[in-house]
Amino acid sequence: MTQYTSNVLNLELIRFLVEQDTAILTPPVMGKVADIELWYAKERGELESRTVDVEEAFTRASARRSRFWGDLREIAACSPGCISFTSQDVPCPRDAVINYVDVQTLRIMYESVSPGHAPGGHQQQSKAEQPKMTLLVDRLLEALNSTAAQTPNQQTLARLEQVLAEKPASYVLGRERAQKLTHHSSFIPICGHRNHSQVLSSLCTISNNKIAALDGNKLQNADQGCPGIAKCAQSKIHYIPISKPQTDSSLGDCSYLDTCHKMNSCRYVHYLQYVPESLVNNAAHRNQEKNQQSKLNQAICLYTRGFRCAGATAPQLPAQWIQCDVRKFDFTVLGKFSVVVADPAWNIRMNLPYGTCNDSELSNLPLDILQNEGIIFLWVTGRAIEVGKESLQKWGYEVCNEISWIKTNQLGRTIVTGRTGHWLNHSKEHLLAGIKGSPQWLNKQSDVDLIVSASRETSRKPDELYGMIERLVGPHARKLEIFGRDHNTRPGWFTIGNQINGENICEIDVKFKYRNSLRRRKSQRPIPHPTTV
Amino acid sequence: MLSDRGRPKNGNESTRKKKSNPLKPSPQPHHNDYTENYIHTTVPPQRYIKNSENQVEGYPNLQKLFRLKERHVAKNATTPFGCKIDIDAMVPTLNHWISDERMVFDVVMIGCLTENQFIYQILTSLPIHKLITKPGFLLIWGSAQKINELTKLLQSEAWSKKFRKSEELVFIPVDKSSPFYPSLDNDDQTLFEKMQWHCWMCITGTVRRATDGHLIHCNVDTDLALETNDQQHSAVPAHLYKIAENFSTATRRLHIIPARTGTEMPVRVRPGWVIMSPDVMLNNFECARYLAEISKIGTHLPAKNDIESLRPKSPTQKRLT
Repeated sequence: MTQYTSNVLNLELIRFLVEQDTAILTPPVMGKVADIELWYAKERGELESRTVDVEEAFTRASARRSRFWGDLREIAACSPGCISFTSQDVPCPRDAVINYVDVQTLRIMYESVSPGHAPGGHQQQSKAEQPKMTLLVDRLLEALNSTAAQTPNQQTLARLEQVLAEKPASYVLGRERAQKLTHHSSFIPICGHRNHSQVLSSLCTISNNKIAALDGNKLQNADQGCPGIAKCAQSKIHYIPISKPQTDSSLGDCSYLDTCHKMNSCRYVHYLQYVPESLVNNAAHRNQEKNQQSKLNQAICLYTRGFRCAGATAPQLPAQWIQCDVRKFDFTVLGKFSVVVADPAWNIRMNLPYGTCNDSELSNLPLDILQNEGIIFLWVTGRAIEVGKESLQKWGYEVCNEISWIKTNQLGRTIVTGRTGHWLNHSKEHLLAGIKGSPQWLNKQSDVDLIVSASRETSRKPDELYGMIERLVGPHARKLEIFGRDHNTRPGWFTIGNQINGENICEIDVKFKYRNSLRRRKSQRPIPHPTTV
Repeated sequence: MLSDRGRPKNGNESTRKKKSNPLKPSPQPHHNDYTENYIHTTVPPQRYIKNSENQVEGYPNLQKLFRLKERHVAKNATTPFGCKIDIDAMVPTLNHWISDERMVFDVVMIGCLTENQFIYQILTSLPIHKLITKPGFLLIWGSAQKINELTKLLQSEAWSKKFRKSEELVFIPVDKSSPFYPSLDNDDQTLFEKMQWHCWMCITGTVRRATDGHLIHCNVDTDLALETNDQQHSAVPAHLYKIAENFSTATRRLHIIPARTGTEMPVRVRPGWVIMSPDVMLNNFECARYLAEISKIGTHLPAKNDIESLRPKSPTQKRLT
């Protein structure tokens, strides 16, 4: 009869609670201890023996009940909270109702009394996980994170978070439109397999710092030793290490890779890109169809919020530019813009190959007159982050985003060497985005605040930004770039800067005002300004 | 498919044949536009960074340096300490440490990758210059918005006199399913979906990067931290601690987390750090024990020749790279 001593936990009962946890708490049982006890007894086959003696049956049943109640209380006392009852103090088991069973705690309890035999059908799994879950901390955390441990409060929080994360229709439609209208350029993944580049390097013929050919015969042979390489070579980009007489591969990669000036004497490893011409052509061909589709989409675009209604038929303005000294330029001739981009050459006490502009010169520019409402982008670096933020505020803007441009090298890796910063190396540049007024015509949050793109010539910024801006304000909005260079001019944009050549103005009113301002300046000063020639 | 492979061809003859060779290399290098790709596929651009799992991939010397430094830091680290207290009790406790226990730290990090942090309150109600030695380093982590709000305070004359900003660090989560995705930061005003956390790193006192190699190791880490897949589930990615450990050679490091981070994101303890948080997993900090350990270890890591020879140095030393 005394199968269970009072100081040993009833493991079988724990197992039962864990296995039947949901059934115990849901109808028809609803956590009623009396019913659970009957069920448990039936599971154990204790109800099978039928006796005619009613009195004996009654005493047996009440003994069984009190034993069950005792075991349950013991388990509950062992780890407070693992079983909770509706009311704190229940003297009689008949009225007791369980309202919560903490399955994870019970499982751990079971595990610690009899290790390696966790109940709940997880026996195999928990054995396999045993070496991983050595720390008690990790086991406790696992218990806390499982859905079974979620309290009603947590469930409500999860639901609330889900509701809050729900995006409005304008966002969904905007994203969809951006997807439908954005140009498709070929996307070819870069192979991440360690061996492939090495294997391919032995199959390539390199001449004149270019890959001349890849031996198809040998590639098929190599596929035996390295399965999948033949297919990979035809579907992904590979970077092939070049071994030259001076190369010492134990030194690792060159910090400058394809931009190295001493390619013929540098002892570090350099790479060449291998991508089959057929793959590039196929990708381009596929995109041609997609791009024709986006053109069609443009013509029948039903969601025109923030865009010009006649988006499909109205032509974009051609590229316009003026060579000028921005510090002395009469900004009133330009009119108003939806977007302004500026990439000032900040004077950060370094010898840069171009004229720099000091803090006060920048913040004194009359950029406050270019927009009634709209957005501005300002490239900043180092100390200029704060100067830039101050200037934006001075011009009437509020900083609403900080975009990071993560600079990558030829191999698609971030730049981590070369003492690019004073205290730490710099792998990114900052672009501040400011907003003035509350423009309703913006198509927000199509893009993320990150650009991952290869670094090019000194201070040349990534072209990805133009696409981001076009999605934000639409193709027909007036856009201005200050401190631009020849490679920055493009349709829809007005570019000014001292490193741009000549001028090209199509908007008649701007042309007229610009001529007038030049004439005024000439009459004021007899000697013509050098930049206005 | 590879019909004319291996057939010896030369010069002009082969041009016609080569057109059908699927392996013929493209004469122009190909560049992917990851921003455009995000629009079409919703895979964020940072997923395509090739060295996100090992940032010094391809540089064996740097890899060696990172390993050596990690071992050196671990060898000279205090017991991992946790100081589990309410946010309200933080300032009084720190004041007690400063004035009664005479405790100072060389590296103080405030904040972690979570919204709703009470950083401003800590910074304004604590004589933080007394908590940090000179020279010392202060790193403040928060959402880009939070750091932007703090800019005014940190740029104020009283502050910038004591703490000069040296770098702005950025942490990037893998994607939107990451526990570090700053979802709450994306209000209606935001033009672009936010995918980053910022850190204001500043220096108090004077250090010179060319001559103070016993105090700081410059240009080891970068100002960009990418979330890695194998990160232990924690409210504070280990990378944040590593940046501070790799930069300063000091052994007295304090991390104050003035925010509730909950149980889903545990605040773990770390060797060599005292971590003050309402949710830190351990509460074992005792001033006397800490001071005793520091006096045994020393306040700075001893110089190590192999680390000295590998670490990047200022060009005045005329070292060939």
